[in-house]
Amino acid sequence: MSRKVIELFYDVVSPYSWLGFEVLCRYRNVWNMELKLRPAFLGGIMQASGNKPPAMVPNKGLYMAKDLNRLASYMNVPLRHPSDPFEVMFNKGSLPAMRFITAVAEKEKDGGRLLENVSREVWKRIWSTDQDICEPASLSEAGLKAGLSSSEVEELLGLSKSQPIKDKLKQTTQEAINYEAFGFPFVVCHIDGKPQVFFGSDRFELMAYCIGEKWLGPQPDKPTSNL
Amino acid sequence: MSSSRKVIELFYDVVSPYSWLAFEVLCRYRNVWNIELKFHPAFLGGVMQGSGNRPPAMVPNKGEYLVKDLTRLASYMNVPLCQPSNTFEVMFEKGSLAAMRFITAVVENAKDGDRLVENVSREVWKRIWSTDQDICEPSSLSEAGLKAGLSSSEVEELIRQAKSQPVKDKLKQTTQEALDYKAFGFPLIICHVDGKPEVFFGSDRFELMAYCIGEKWLGPQPDKLTSYL
Repeated sequence: MSRKVIELFYDVVSPYSWLGFEVLCRYRNVWNMELKLRPAFLGGIMQASGNKPPAMVPNKGLYMAKDLNRLASYMNVPLRHPSDPFEVMFNKGSLPAMRFITAVAEKEKDGGRLLENVSREVWKRIWSTDQDICEPASLSEAGLKAGLSSSEVEELLGLSKSQPIKDKLKQTTQEAINYEAFGFPFVVCHIDGKPQVFFGSDRFELMAYCIGEKWLGPQPDKPTSNL
Repeated sequence: MSSSRKVIELFYDVVSPYSWLAFEVLCRYRNVWNIELKFHPAFLGGVMQGSGNRPPAMVPNKGEYLVKDLTRLASYMNVPLCQPSNTFEVMFEKGSLAAMRFITAVVENAKDGDRLVENVSREVWKRIWSTDQDICEPSSLSEAGLKAGLSSSEVEELIRQAKSQPVKDKLKQTTQEALDYKAFGFPLIICHVDGKPEVFFGSDRFELMAYCIGEKWLGPQPDKLTSYL
């Protein structure tokens, strides 16, 4: 059977996207797939689809906080809520961060791990250690931790303000909209030339069934929790 | 970890297709997990109003996705779910109030053992979410009741009771209990673990639920492990 292409559309502002991202990264060598990371802008998806952030319904917001804590523990992702999620998610947002990550994606054409590592370091800041992801100094710190050199970080910060990068982020966001996304994470599995789309970080068992692979739980190297 | 029997409560409304999926999965796990399953038929309309939530299909892309998602899940979970021909009319114009009152009457009468509640709920679900049949008319509920194993006279009595104030009040009360657990939709599942309620929304948290209650998740068909191993 041919290698399946799985695309992950994500934004670091979304905690469920982080869970989806870590699980798919862990399955890269477990499932017969090529994982394509597609950094995009969640704000653009919400606007285009007319969707509203789930936490606008108070009971849903309360539930999601608990749900994320339990999932993070089960999935072994060091996720923690920022002290002021509203400020972090809606006032500050993720536009500079996603432009920076888009610049990393554009620079890294050869399927390396930089895009993965930078995304993870930015996620750790916003969704684990409650640190800023809007200032250049913040993104610089994340880039250095991810293994970039100072000069590379500087170049990427410059690029992230350029029109081509802004356009690229818009274009990736538009691609997700073309797949009728209404939120992130949004996963597109290409099987026999046909795209199958999945929303959320809770469809991996179903995804495995649809693409003919096996689901071994969120930590495939530790199947004890599952068998 | 305490080995005492865990109580799991399922709040559901037959208008909700994801509730049907959760219902079937939990029924299958009754003898697999060390649980006592309690059915709480409630009114989703009241939960949406009480929580200020809106039906997900109000966002067009989400509506399109839900149709695909349900079809795939039904296949994977082996539940014979089919979309009604006019989903909007069935879910929002006709609704489920009469059906949920009928099922509430069944609960009020079946004090010992919940098999009847299970069977009647399933027969009503089959009508609305599998064979595209009405669930509002007394004759429709009567048909479902007979298929579930009730006698004609029992069905007649239940249909009468379904219109009574005590049953109407009971349905309101169960709906309020769900809201007290901060429900914003169905299915809502409450697991009582060591005296503490753990709340789960949706039909996609069973693997997490198993982890939280110290049981094993064996997929949606625990008697058919092949799909999983």
